[in-house]
Amino acid sequence: MSHELRTPLNAILGYAELLADGIYGELAPRASGVLERVQNNGRHLLALINDVLDLSKIEAGQLVFTLEDYSLAEVVQSVVSATEGMARNKGLAVTAEVAPGLPTGHADARRLQQVLLNLVGNAVKFTDEGEVAIRAAAEHGSFVLSVRDTGPGIAPEDHGRIFDEFQQVDSSNTRKKGGTGLGLAISKRMIEMQGGTISVDSALGEGATFRVVLPIRVEEIIDEAAGGSGRDPAPVLRGAA
Amino acid sequence: MTKRILVIEDTEDNRQIVRDLLESAGYALIEALDGLEGVAAAEREHPDLILMDIQLPGIDGYEATRRIRAVPALATVPIIAVTSYALSGDEAKTRAAGCDGYVAKPFSPRQLLAKIREFLPP
Repeated sequence: MSHELRTPLNAILGYAELLADGIYGELAPRASGVLERVQNNGRHLLALINDVLDLSKIEAGQLVFTLEDYSLAEVVQSVVSATEGMARNKGLAVTAEVAPGLPTGHADARRLQQVLLNLVGNAVKFTDEGEVAIRAAAEHGSFVLSVRDTGPGIAPEDHGRIFDEFQQVDSSNTRKKGGTGLGLAISKRMIEMQGGTISVDSALGEGATFRVVLPIRVEEIIDEAAGGSGRDPAPVLRGAA
Repeated sequence: MTKRILVIEDTEDNRQIVRDLLESAGYALIEALDGLEGVAAAEREHPDLILMDIQLPGIDGYEATRRIRAVPALATVPIIAVTSYALSGDEAKTRAAGCDGYVAKPFSPRQLLAKIREFLPP
């Protein structure tokens, strides 16, 4: 189904970019402005489709995890590289402090990266000044990853529902900040299925710190969503270590 | 001399986007709608580069790439694979089949052009 949903949208975005690049002739200024809105909405819809498909795969127990050895420092570095441009545009710094000598991890590194990218992306989106700080360390057999921002903070009564589908604290923000409202819900599932936890520590006006605790070596996938016994093993591909 | 690019792609809109993009960038296009037609066009036309969609009717892009690579005169023509988002392991599979580069859908025309220019500098 993903192919059917994405193909027409890709065509819309493709033509829009050619129009914006002047391939079909120069556009009047008002038309350029409208075209930019078409592109922004198209990209937002694509992000939504990708997230909804991820979530529906999780709920159907069809999300395939690939467990492989990875370097947490490399995961952190890739997320810093992917987000520092967006942060710089807002005058923010993204810093990373990785404890020296971390052991090699074993998990679905691509999904861990997706989760960290989501947390750092959110932090940059919701922070207007200050910094976004990533820390990575190991304790008691788990990696502890935290993402701290100097944004507006989240009231304690909202801490539970921000991990639910389509819940941002201020729904008027969804359009302004460009999120899909699904990123944290997906992140929570992906971390919990690998035996980890995700939580937030924040108060209004005091920024927010999201914390992921993930076993250093993830050996099995816990699939509560697949129903039945609640412990049906989810599909796992073992990476060549 | 104008460089010629063979586009093997079954979706009409994708072909038009690639055509409009690449013709405006000064390349000449040859188009094929499925894998078999693509292999035949490659043998007949000897293009300077091939853009290979992977999900094609009939033989898929992996098989079409292997058949093109089996033709001695086409052993070194750059082949860029274009595949759907989120199929993990795709890049390794396209390389194993003999592709030189890889662009994931959804691609932006700008990214695609940049990738083509890695192989065919303007």
